[in-house]
Amino acid sequence: MFSLNKYRKKSPWILHYNAGSCNGCDIEILACLSPKYDLERFGVINTGNPKQSDIFLVTGPVTFRSRERLIELYTQMPEPKVVVAVGSCTCTGGVFRDMYNVEDGIDIYIPVDVYIPGCAASPELIIDGVVQALDILEKKTKEMEIPFKLFKEATTKKGITSRRESALKIGENDEKN
Amino acid sequence: MKKTINIPLGSQHISLLEPVRFKFECENEKIVGVDSDVGFVHRGVEKACTTRFKYDAVGYVVARVCGLCAITHSLSYTVAIEQLLDVEVSKKAKYLRVLLLELDRIHSHMLCLSHTCESAGFEAMFMRIMGDRELIMEIQELLTGNRIQFDYISIGGVNRDISLETAKKIVNSLDIVKQKVLGYIDEFTNNWSLSLKFKGIGALTLDEAYRFNAIGPLARASGLHIDVRNEIEYLPYKELGFKMQTHTDGDINARNIIRLNEILNSLEMCNNILAGVPEGEIVVKSKGKPSGESLVRFEAPRGELMYFVKGNATAMLDRVRIKTPTFSSIPAFSHIFMGENYADAPAILASFDPCLSCTAK
Repeated sequence: MFSLNKYRKKSPWILHYNAGSCNGCDIEILACLSPKYDLERFGVINTGNPKQSDIFLVTGPVTFRSRERLIELYTQMPEPKVVVAVGSCTCTGGVFRDMYNVEDGIDIYIPVDVYIPGCAASPELIIDGVVQALDILEKKTKEMEIPFKLFKEATTKKGITSRRESALKIGENDEKN
Repeated sequence: MKKTINIPLGSQHISLLEPVRFKFECENEKIVGVDSDVGFVHRGVEKACTTRFKYDAVGYVVARVCGLCAITHSLSYTVAIEQLLDVEVSKKAKYLRVLLLELDRIHSHMLCLSHTCESAGFEAMFMRIMGDRELIMEIQELLTGNRIQFDYISIGGVNRDISLETAKKIVNSLDIVKQKVLGYIDEFTNNWSLSLKFKGIGALTLDEAYRFNAIGPLARASGLHIDVRNEIEYLPYKELGFKMQTHTDGDINARNIIRLNEILNSLEMCNNILAGVPEGEIVVKSKGKPSGESLVRFEAPRGELMYFVKGNATAMLDRVRIKTPTFSSIPAFSHIFMGENYADAPAILASFDPCLSCTAK
């Protein structure tokens, strides 16, 4: 039986977005694409177009101005898609945690599949994370993952803040927007 | 009737490493108006330095303002605090600080050169320079334990010592890098297809550079003799053989040549340091809490970086003000785009080597 998933794994395309990081992880991603580490041997190409990409590499704690663009890029990507959080500050907020213009990590807004720690995350770790993401991509189906709207009260459960449970589904009316 | 069309570049774009938005007003292919928006990555580091962190931890926080010139940020802050605490740093620590500063400058300039080539459509050169840049990254890992964000500088000195074997390894690698850089200079001056993309494009005259307050390689490419390394006394640049590099053309090619010559000069300085690292302690202990005001300037890879620190004899500081190089150069950036082709815009933007996470902090 013809299965698209098998071939999808062979050439995933990457979309990279900087949501407020210090450039450290961004240049490590660039170093991954360069000859020494050569992420392109897995069929990966860095593309600027969200509508053609499968893997979403995000760096940085989410700043207030970049969060809408982050969600916009995420919703524009076709299913199935995998989100990889690169760097400590992307996973938890890191050194920027509790600063006044920063949300603590991207998993408040979008579901994350692979977390890569490190400040800055080393190229070996980034390659390892992307390879893990490839396995997840193979198992994912085309079922829609529901994105979440902004400007909602955050809920705190067991000390973990999340906006995803209280958020409206796409299509529902929101008075503030 | 309106004859111009608006084309946005950013905030997310394949040729951009970080979010910045330019709104170009174009008449056919020519750009006639530019509007820029740089505040996408504002995090509030300055405020956090005075409310969340104590003065001895701030040096590692301000390093996270920018990943490319992290060492310059932490060094500027540390020198400002050392002036308040009256700490005299040993000569060995000063030499090691200059070594790291220059290595950081080399890898930052190489990244900028490769990115300029990629934006002009020369993918092979991008790969070549990025491949050779790994030699410098390996040296940094050897010296400090991390490739980027090496928390190397502490108040009173540096955190790691250098051994003889490491110094020998570094000298060998620097020799290889020097040969590679000489090869690039040949390529950048003689390659015909690169000259079509770079020569005469994105020019800034000496008068304009003066008027728009340009700094760093952007100003030196236009013939303005401005370099903080020539003026400061905290680091022994003069005895290490610092030479100012200037050019007269002011176009993209001139900026590339300036960067290449600066890499050569930095390599020479690194070799001079490694030839005679002085004996001594690497860290001097400091006493007391900072009080008073101090202002420190340093030359980051992109130009002058200024730190103002005000303390009140407690562990928390009153004010930390950071003035970054890209922020000062934005008027010059916007002016250069006028009258150029839209197709050249990514290459011109890459040749500025903008650092937006510095600018927005």
